[in-house]
Amino acid sequence: MTGCEALVIGGSAGSLEVLLKALPVLDVTLTFPIIIVIHRKHGADSLLPDLLSSRTRLRVKEIDEKEAIIAGTIYIAPSDYHLLIEQNRTFSLDYSEKINYSRPAIDVTFQTAAEVYKNKLACLLLSGSNADGVNGLKTVKRWGGLALIQDPDSAQVAYMPAQAKLHVEIDEILSIENIGEFINSLK
Amino acid sequence: MKKVFVFDDNADILELCTIILEDAGYEIKTSSTSNNIIDQVLAYIPDIIFMDNWLPDVGGIEATRELKKHETLKAIPVIYFSANNDVKSLANEAGADGYLSKPFDIQELEDIITRHLN
Repeated sequence: MTGCEALVIGGSAGSLEVLLKALPVLDVTLTFPIIIVIHRKHGADSLLPDLLSSRTRLRVKEIDEKEAIIAGTIYIAPSDYHLLIEQNRTFSLDYSEKINYSRPAIDVTFQTAAEVYKNKLACLLLSGSNADGVNGLKTVKRWGGLALIQDPDSAQVAYMPAQAKLHVEIDEILSIENIGEFINSLK
Repeated sequence: MKKVFVFDDNADILELCTIILEDAGYEIKTSSTSNNIIDQVLAYIPDIIFMDNWLPDVGGIEATRELKKHETLKAIPVIYFSANNDVKSLANEAGADGYLSKPFDIQELEDIITRHLN
């Protein structure tokens, strides 16, 4: 993909170890934002951005309501809110019902991002134990974006990327070791 | 290597604390229940304990009290943590040696360990 304008990464159980391996590899000159939506419980809020920040020289921050999306920043969705991408390229946090037993639901972010960034969007689904993100990847493909998954064989919990592989035409299946370099190649 | 035992029912907290504290050079064990608290702690003998308030079975307050009544375990510092606004009074009620308000960041976690182990 050339001219990537955003990368959204969704994950659940087993996805943290993948992020911790990928982040140190990322170029500091990243020309697009990375938006991370991880299923997690309330209570660990400061620790996750703090920990991810310790693995990269890129700016890492937890998302605030109505915040403008800036290239070269790694954004973390807060726990307990759905994360929507608005047409004016700002974030919106939503406290409506859980989807796929999850809030944040990866589907919501993938789908709203697809409508904004269209064929300049890449979405990556990591390890996890439910099918959240699969419908979102379908929407990404419909708008011409790139659908990526962690190789289910390398995933701590294979179900989520395996479901995506089963139901969506995936553009790239990435091993843990290749994720960082692949992100750098998006540019 | 100093040993840390973290009790919390939030799997995310346990996963994050494990990575952070191992990075910082500690050995860490985690548990999501206060059941048989004495046996759990006796089997590991940590240098410091983190105790969540909302812990399945007897709960953080009772678990801490049991530890503080135990002849050999009472000397191990217990840091009480909770998202509750009253974390300080809960820690006092439990007889804990310190407290940490949730959410906390890496620096706060490492600082409180250093403070209690030195």
